[in-house]
Amino acid sequence: MKVNVKWGKELFNDIEVDTTQPPIIFKSQLFTLSGVPPERQKVLIKGGQLKDEEWGKQQPKEGMTIMMMGSADEIKVEAPTNAPKFVEDLPEEEQNTLETKAYGSGLKNLGNTCYMNSTLQCLYTAEGLKQALQAYQPASLSEPNAKLAQAARELFDDLQRGGEPFPPFKFLLTLRQRFPQFAQQTNEGLYMQQDAEECWTQVMYVLKEQLKDADGKSAVDRLFGLKLHTRLKCAETGEEFEEDSTVYTLKCNISVDVNYLHQGVSLALVEDREKNSTQAERLVLFKGSSQLASLPPYLTVQMVRFFYKADVRQKAKILRKVTFPMEFDVYDYCTPELQKQLAAPRMALKDYQDKLSLEKRTAKQLKTEDGPKPAPVLDAGGSSSAAAAAEPAAAGDVDMKDADAAAAGPPSAVVAGAQTGRYELAGVLTHKGRSADSGHYVAWTKQADGRWVLFDDDELHFKTAEDVLALNGGGDWHMAYLLMYKAVTVPEAAVPAAAAAKPEAAAESQPEPMKAE
Amino acid sequence: MAVAKEEQKAAPDKQKQDGKKKQEPEEELSDEDLELKKNIELMVERVKDSDAAIVKAALDAITKEIHTTTSSMTAVPKPLKFLRPHLETLISTFEAMLAGPNRQTLADVLSLLTSTVAGKEGEREGLRFKLQGNTSDLETWGHEYMRHLAGEIAEEYKDRHEKEQPVDDLLHLVAQIVPYHMTHNAEPEAVDLLLEVDQLDKLEQHVDDKNYARTCLYLVSCCTYLPEPEDTQVLQLAHRVYMAQKKYHDALRVALRLNEPATIEATFAACSDVLERRQLGYLLARHGAWGAINLEEGPAAVEDEAEREALREIISNSKLSEHFLALARDLDVVEPKVPEDVYKSHLTDGRQPAGAALDSARQNLASTFVNAFVNAGYGQDKLVTVSTEGNDTVHWIFKNKDHGKTSATASLGLISLWDVEGGLPLIDKYLYSNDNAVVAGALLATGLVNCGVQNENDPAFALISDYVSNADAGIRSGAILGLGLAYAGTQREEVQELLVPLREEVQELLVPLVLDSDQTMEVAGLAALALGLVFSSSCKEDVVEALLTALMSRGETELSGVWAKFLVLGLGLLFLGKQEVVEPTLEIAKTLAECVSKYAQVVLDGCAYAGSGNVLKVQELLALCGEHIETEEAAAWKAVHQGPAVLGIALIAMAEPLGAQMATRMLEHLLSYGEPPVRRCVPLALALLHVSDPAQQVVDALSRLSHDADTEAAQNAVLALGIVGAGTNNARLAGILRGLASYYYKEPSLLFLVRAAQGLAHMGKGLIGLSPIHTDKQLLSGVALSGLLAVLTACQDLKATIGAKHHYLLYCLATAMTPRMLLTVDNEGQLLSVPVRVGQAVDVVAQAGRPKTITGFQTHTTPVLMSAGERAELGSEKYLPLTPILEGTVILKTNPDYVELAE
Repeated sequence: MKVNVKWGKELFNDIEVDTTQPPIIFKSQLFTLSGVPPERQKVLIKGGQLKDEEWGKQQPKEGMTIMMMGSADEIKVEAPTNAPKFVEDLPEEEQNTLETKAYGSGLKNLGNTCYMNSTLQCLYTAEGLKQALQAYQPASLSEPNAKLAQAARELFDDLQRGGEPFPPFKFLLTLRQRFPQFAQQTNEGLYMQQDAEECWTQVMYVLKEQLKDADGKSAVDRLFGLKLHTRLKCAETGEEFEEDSTVYTLKCNISVDVNYLHQGVSLALVEDREKNSTQAERLVLFKGSSQLASLPPYLTVQMVRFFYKADVRQKAKILRKVTFPMEFDVYDYCTPELQKQLAAPRMALKDYQDKLSLEKRTAKQLKTEDGPKPAPVLDAGGSSSAAAAAEPAAAGDVDMKDADAAAAGPPSAVVAGAQTGRYELAGVLTHKGRSADSGHYVAWTKQADGRWVLFDDDELHFKTAEDVLALNGGGDWHMAYLLMYKAVTVPEAAVPAAAAAKPEAAAESQPEPMKAE
Repeated sequence: MAVAKEEQKAAPDKQKQDGKKKQEPEEELSDEDLELKKNIELMVERVKDSDAAIVKAALDAITKEIHTTTSSMTAVPKPLKFLRPHLETLISTFEAMLAGPNRQTLADVLSLLTSTVAGKEGEREGLRFKLQGNTSDLETWGHEYMRHLAGEIAEEYKDRHEKEQPVDDLLHLVAQIVPYHMTHNAEPEAVDLLLEVDQLDKLEQHVDDKNYARTCLYLVSCCTYLPEPEDTQVLQLAHRVYMAQKKYHDALRVALRLNEPATIEATFAACSDVLERRQLGYLLARHGAWGAINLEEGPAAVEDEAEREALREIISNSKLSEHFLALARDLDVVEPKVPEDVYKSHLTDGRQPAGAALDSARQNLASTFVNAFVNAGYGQDKLVTVSTEGNDTVHWIFKNKDHGKTSATASLGLISLWDVEGGLPLIDKYLYSNDNAVVAGALLATGLVNCGVQNENDPAFALISDYVSNADAGIRSGAILGLGLAYAGTQREEVQELLVPLREEVQELLVPLVLDSDQTMEVAGLAALALGLVFSSSCKEDVVEALLTALMSRGETELSGVWAKFLVLGLGLLFLGKQEVVEPTLEIAKTLAECVSKYAQVVLDGCAYAGSGNVLKVQELLALCGEHIETEEAAAWKAVHQGPAVLGIALIAMAEPLGAQMATRMLEHLLSYGEPPVRRCVPLALALLHVSDPAQQVVDALSRLSHDADTEAAQNAVLALGIVGAGTNNARLAGILRGLASYYYKEPSLLFLVRAAQGLAHMGKGLIGLSPIHTDKQLLSGVALSGLLAVLTACQDLKATIGAKHHYLLYCLATAMTPRMLLTVDNEGQLLSVPVRVGQAVDVVAQAGRPKTITGFQTHTTPVLMSAGERAELGSEKYLPLTPILEGTVILKTNPDYVELAE
């Protein structure tokens, strides 16, 4: 008897079948044809599978087409050993924070502690501080300052892990231990809301004391320290003083005619004080004005929104709208020496940016669809590898120099990572409410990938740059209290010597000055 | 003829004339008219004369005037106009007159005259006089008069029928009117009259080759508006007419609609032309009536073996995959798509989460479904059919979790849908997997591949049957549903020597599962669903009995669960479209446990009258939906029957456009005033009414509902959007769904449904639609509907079924999936490209003349895609189609009369 066998798309015609023999013979015939061993063959006849020993109901008929399944090679479908883990496998809480996990975790509010949470979360954005804390080795833990720094270090580690919001108990306790003013309680025994700026200053103070770089200098000085050169002049006596000081925040005073950040900053840099005159031998009024003598990688600007109102005995708030920019240029506040030093890097940066925007425009003309990226990777691709390899070392040197608050020196050739006097907004600590000791503090931070993330105690939300710029005040919405700006340095690609720099470097927009650590 | 036409117009103008007269009482009459007027006045006088001869002469004169009058189209014929003032006189003369021919003649005149005067309600003067006059030669009085008379006869008949008075004299008139209508292009009126006087069987003798088409078209179309049993009678009549006219394709459509196996087989058997019979085969295949014809023996046996083989191949849909792929190649859409091609998330504004660290199992599952639906039938995709490559070592199937792996493996079946030979080797290896969920999926896939096609070796049964009693519940479920899908709608019992034992076996395999109270309700429910799919519309007694027994033996908690609904649905599917046959079972359903009894009754009623357009049933169901039931947590079952009641309305109304429109409006009301259980099912009902037909109004309504505060309503609405847009690639709908995806990005369960809906909307890359209603909207395929109903039933408890572990129930839609193509083949079955005009269908039922059947058409070359509400006609005289309805696969033969035009 002859049958046809269909195996997938293949057809074997006219196969001789002997139904007096057990089907296994037939299957071996098929084996020779298809190479599928009999044990893996599935021969389907009229709604049944052919057995090996007997034909049973599956009697083939002359000329019929039989179907066979099976593959010549053994294919095993085993469940993979490295079974993927799914979002759904995670505990529910983790699922909620999954998206924001990379940006750190939320901090639980332990009863009016949002001032502290927002301060910490804002500081957490400063990559350099993070690294400095990680490297921190406390000398002895008995000292309250060391304890607090250690607590901060642990807290940052916890934040880094991301995920579930956690309560910052330890840090809070050490903070209150070290600075009892934060342990103030109301009559009902509740802890009171505090001024975030005060918390910021105190924490910075402790960290300044504790965090040391390899060379023994304070890391906080390097990261946040701002050298001011103040010139005091007495109109009465004609005496003049000059003094240098290090501050950690730039103030922005708010008066009736301050509408923009730079106005407020100018106002604050002018300072009159009474001083004992050696000539007059009494207290006379000196007119002072300050200039920036060096620039830190992180510039903190405090909007002086609160003033102490004696009649109500609380820090009242100025609601005035003061617009702050995404990019802040402090060139005008710098000393002439510093300005001279900044000139070349600024030019390099400007040229570079012009070039980029030009390229972007042409690219846009070519292809109308192009996502707006802060620093598109449109640079000359090929790049000489030698120059690229030389880059990091050079950058490191300058970083060190920079970090040491490069004193006035001859305007050397522009190197990557050089300060330009330009800053971009990296974090905003905002306050909502009518007085510093009430209301709510939150931190708005710009992440490495360019996204704005709002840390609101235990919650993290994505925000847009427009949302952030809307924090300029003038209403009852959150308004900026502390602004943290990050220095815009000369990108490697912009260094003339290495005109054809690595495109990756450009993509990172600004190399971290800390890299050299 | 001329008279008839004028009078036809005259009647409606009469009142206008009256109005005019009031304004200008004294009309200027021409000399001619004056003479006529005088003449008539004279004759009216003479009629009063006592001399019979004079009276006769006068009457004859009047009659002659009326018969010969010619007047403009818009005016009452002059003689009638002048006679009208004398109506009273004539009537009194008539009353006084002695019986005789004169009296009869006068009666005739009066009858005509009164028919032009608006009578009072219930006063049938025209008929009254006619019955006293000459009851023959009606047509001499004109067409309009006959229509008027027909109307009065119908009323009179109803009156007398109620009073049980004899109606012979009326029927005598009817016997004259009907032939007149039938020969004067007024077939619908003839049908109407005969329906009114219950004499439909008299129609047949008057049908000939000239008027059969219009007659039957009207008969078939009015069927949905007729009460039982007349609806069946008209269909039977239409079938007889078509058979007498040897229009087998038309006859078979009617037979399929009647759903009587014997009629279907007889129709098929009567067709002796080889090609035409093959075309019938395509129709059967499209309808899913795979087992309807026994080619081996019985009346429809085919002697020639090669021809038998060819027919079997056609009816079993073996070529479907090949044809579909030919269409795909022609339209250049063979390249597989990935889910992202459908999501188009770059078009939604920045709500998309940036690539999270971990895969979401739910999103992967959604992608699985999208991938399956989008690449359905193409045999290739970029997720499951490819082997893993690169550093991604985990195959897509294992990127799904638990039951997700079942669905992912089963998606192989959907991707290689209809291609048994190509698909099974792909699936085979997964049967050996050490993961039970994968094996279950492979079984389901095996069933899916065979869904809608029949293979003579029955690989599905051979492969699946051993697993039905597997120890693992998951595998068992997969096997059961696989069997159900593979053999969905293998209709008849005694035919198909091959199928019989098999179907028995399917039954043997599944029935015990239903009856065995040790089995979980889940298994029992799925088995019942599978039985319902396989034996849909069969009313098979032992299956019915088994399902009823199961419903009786289970405890209350089991019966108030989700799976009891599938037990009931299985039962309902057995009676799909069977109308009153369901009655005994309905009675038994009343005795079931309280928590399921009402539900079962409603489901049975809805299923039995599916597509019938039965208004009474709709009203009954509507009343149920209107109830405001106070339920407590413990007795939620009290309102559970309202869901199927809402669906039932749609189910009954879906087959017919007017009814569907009305139902849509009713559903809007339910939405405004209904209780939550009712509101939740409204989107599902809307979907059922507009399957693969994204009409703007419906899409808007569903889009609104998809943001509903009631999550369940929103979920149903989202899925309903998918069903409504299934396989249409509708840009507007796709936009709405993208919006929803962004709106619900934080809610995984809704997002999953949005994704699924997106997949449905792009089903088969827009080439495959869900089409329970097919062949110019004339036929409702029970198989296709069964699958849809399974999904819609699951949607009533979405959280426990599709939203949870039983998402694979979505694959039940496979029974309704068909390429929305028009493919033309030559007599050898080879593809043939011809120009066709595709346009919006126009309703031509009972339209005068020969109206165009499509409007706003475009000319394409086959193969071509057809959307909802479109119709096609051949754009070339060179070929003749073997079916009047161009849909699916159409055989063309060369036109012997065609002469090539010289260029």
